[in-house]
Amino acid sequence: MKFWLRRITFYVVTLWAAISLNFLLPRLLPGDPAAIMLGKLRRANGGRPLSEETIAAITSILGAEKGSTLWDQYLSYWGRLLQGDLGVSSTRYPAPVGELIASALPWTVTLVGAATVISFVLGIVAGAWVGWFRGTWVDQLVPITTFLQSIPYFWLALVLVAVFSVQLGLLPIIGGYDVFEFPAGPEWTPAFIASAFVHALLPAATIVISSVGGWLLGMRNMMVQTMAEDYVLTAEAKGLTRSRIRNAYAARNASIPSLAGFGIALGFVVAGSIVTEQVFSYPGLGKLMIQSVQGLDYALMQGVFLVITLTVLAANFLIDLLYGFIDPRVRRDG
Amino acid sequence: MHDNRWRKTLPLVAGAAALALTLGGCTSGGSSSGGDRPLRMWSGSMTPITNNFNPFAVDTATHMTFGAIYEPLFFFNQLSADPPVGMIGDSYEFNDDGTVLTITIKPDLKWSDGEDLTAADVAFSLGYGSNHDPDMVSAEPTDDTTIVVTYSSAKFTATSLILGSTWIIPEHIWADIDGYMTETNPDPIGSGPYTLKSFTDAAYTLEANELFRDGPPEIAEVQDIGIDSNQSSEDLLKTGKLDWVGQFIANPDGVTANGRISTMNQQQDPTVIMTCADTSMGCSGAQTDPAVRQALNVAIDRSAIGKKAFAGLAGESSPSFALLPRDEKWLGDPSLATSPQQADAGSAQEILEKAGYTKGSDGFYGKDGVAIELDLFSPDGWTDYNDAAKLISAQAADAGIRVNARTVSEAEYWTPISTGEFQLALYGLTQSLVADPFSNYDQYFATTASAKVGEEPTKGQNYARYTNPLVDAAVKQAGATQDEAIKKTAYATIQTEIARDLPYIPVVLNASQSFFNTADFTGWPSEGDMYAAPLPYLSTASAVILTHLRPVKK
Repeated sequence: MKFWLRRITFYVVTLWAAISLNFLLPRLLPGDPAAIMLGKLRRANGGRPLSEETIAAITSILGAEKGSTLWDQYLSYWGRLLQGDLGVSSTRYPAPVGELIASALPWTVTLVGAATVISFVLGIVAGAWVGWFRGTWVDQLVPITTFLQSIPYFWLALVLVAVFSVQLGLLPIIGGYDVFEFPAGPEWTPAFIASAFVHALLPAATIVISSVGGWLLGMRNMMVQTMAEDYVLTAEAKGLTRSRIRNAYAARNASIPSLAGFGIALGFVVAGSIVTEQVFSYPGLGKLMIQSVQGLDYALMQGVFLVITLTVLAANFLIDLLYGFIDPRVRRDG
Repeated sequence: MHDNRWRKTLPLVAGAAALALTLGGCTSGGSSSGGDRPLRMWSGSMTPITNNFNPFAVDTATHMTFGAIYEPLFFFNQLSADPPVGMIGDSYEFNDDGTVLTITIKPDLKWSDGEDLTAADVAFSLGYGSNHDPDMVSAEPTDDTTIVVTYSSAKFTATSLILGSTWIIPEHIWADIDGYMTETNPDPIGSGPYTLKSFTDAAYTLEANELFRDGPPEIAEVQDIGIDSNQSSEDLLKTGKLDWVGQFIANPDGVTANGRISTMNQQQDPTVIMTCADTSMGCSGAQTDPAVRQALNVAIDRSAIGKKAFAGLAGESSPSFALLPRDEKWLGDPSLATSPQQADAGSAQEILEKAGYTKGSDGFYGKDGVAIELDLFSPDGWTDYNDAAKLISAQAADAGIRVNARTVSEAEYWTPISTGEFQLALYGLTQSLVADPFSNYDQYFATTASAKVGEEPTKGQNYARYTNPLVDAAVKQAGATQDEAIKKTAYATIQTEIARDLPYIPVVLNASQSFFNTADFTGWPSEGDMYAAPLPYLSTASAVILTHLRPVKK
């Protein structure tokens, strides 16, 4: 019981620290979002003087609460947060941050989530295989996938688009679905789901191609290490079939460290894949994040970071729990 | 009356385009023909597009809010010196001292919900929200089609602002809206050629307004799409998915090669090295000495910058800040038509030496033991600006002037510009929208448009903190008259002063490339008939073009 109490206290403190940092970080960045928006407005308005109401409206919504102390701002930040109010975006003014995040989240979770799972499964299976047959030609897979991983992300995405979309015309260029076929937006029809699937192929492929190498390498090395263990030798001595030794004895134990990594990777799924989403105009969270940082959109920035923080913490918490159950050594005090 | 000009030229343009098409030969595509599908355009929106059709949200409302849905009274074509074309408005007249503006509008106009559009709506719009000019005394409808607007001071120079960029809104809807800045207006009722059909955060679709005064436009549907990168839009153009974009493409031949897409490149809006110019306004640094600015002006190689940083697409800018050839008649001294295009390190050194600077042992000039060291910054990721800054730095070094090119994030870029805490910045000035450089002088050079360093200018965009009583007097004089001779003399004074003082050192005229589908749609502007700039992000102009377009029947 003491173990669980300690873990939960730890997570509560971490959560508090993360949310407080989330409050503080944007305020340490240079520039004032209200000034930026007023400047842009003035330019867009052809230099027409802005009315006092306009200036007041914008500073009241976006201003860094001039005159109030940082502590007051911090308290009101918590107050709004507890009411579920994430504020209003300045770059997408006057859209509420909550709505922007809610519509972006499902796309990111599906795309990056699926890509992460595919990349993990591919990497583990291939890694086990490469480890088992080490010293043969399959070892070539390691440098190949490592090379793929080292290709700059956006460049890979652009090449894939140039080949599969522009040259061959097989796959779409942008979006989460066909905006030309579905001008009224998402709908629950087989045609729409098929469209969304086709639109996810290239972005998912870029993520898989550039991340599978890491899983593969880790798994391969663990596999080689595990195969030297006594229990594998015992299994061989017992005369078990090669495939049973490979799957049930070696691969199973070798994959445990990767599973922990997988849990963390899943936590970061929500952060999205900024570059992929930008290149493919994919309606996800990663893009909101980069836009908010570029436009110094405090509210949106905080909202996105908050969601990411919460999921990463939640994923870690679940892994912690899982490990506590699986491995009694983790629960032991001190 | 202005409408007739459109009608006459339309068949001509259509004919020319059709001819070009036949000669060019039709191509593949894989896309359906123009008639049965929406025209698809990218006006620069990034995803997610905000569901905002509030014409007062000039920065965040969807692009098509302006022009296609809500209209101004008149259309001012920024490419020509012709008089404005009537939209809702029919004619306008100022009294002699410019304080009473009488506007007549066309008869029998309708809002897209079927209500009548009358002079009362126009008067309401002029006094509503941020349209309300503090100098406006009253705006009264005298009958169904006439509005008399009275101001406390002469408004000649605000003509294009009042008539060309004030969006006319229906009183029967907006009278009930209090928070005009927070309203998102998801079901816009306007007078323009299109109405909103459907909206998603990835794209939105407009359909022809059946009640539009000239009858519904021939392009029945227009879809504006959110795209996050120029590369994607270029790819969509190549594969026949997009019909109209305005963006920079370094190699336009790759897009136009298939014969479907035509391109145009208009040059306007000068890119300048903005300097924090005057010590009396609080500026500090070597650039506050006009001699240093003059030396820098002759030290840079504009032709190399245009070629290398702007892909050879930019034009030659004029130190008079008049847009040539459009504003030809306002150019006082012909020698101010263009800035020097080649670097002249010799003259730069001569200017500096005459002003008392001496060359140090490291080859760089300085005065009283203090070397000139200037910081030139540009927003990171604006690659043409970043490259130009690097070239300027190298060229200035050849003349013995130390200029450090530095890139900053966009957020960090706007703050020093608005407070004046900078030395040199690459910046883009916005060209006056009418064939008269007045707004350039008034907005960027007058002391009233500036503010002391540390404060943000509120009545203009004189971010250079330039102040010159001769310029101020001439701007005031030109703004209070419609007499061309007086204006011309005043402009000549301004031009001489600013070309010598160089608070903004002109670099190039920006290119603005547009790409449009001439295979499926005809009626686009052509070199021979620039009835509007074919850039989808220009509010009224893009709507004017949409009403000129016709699908090609195949």
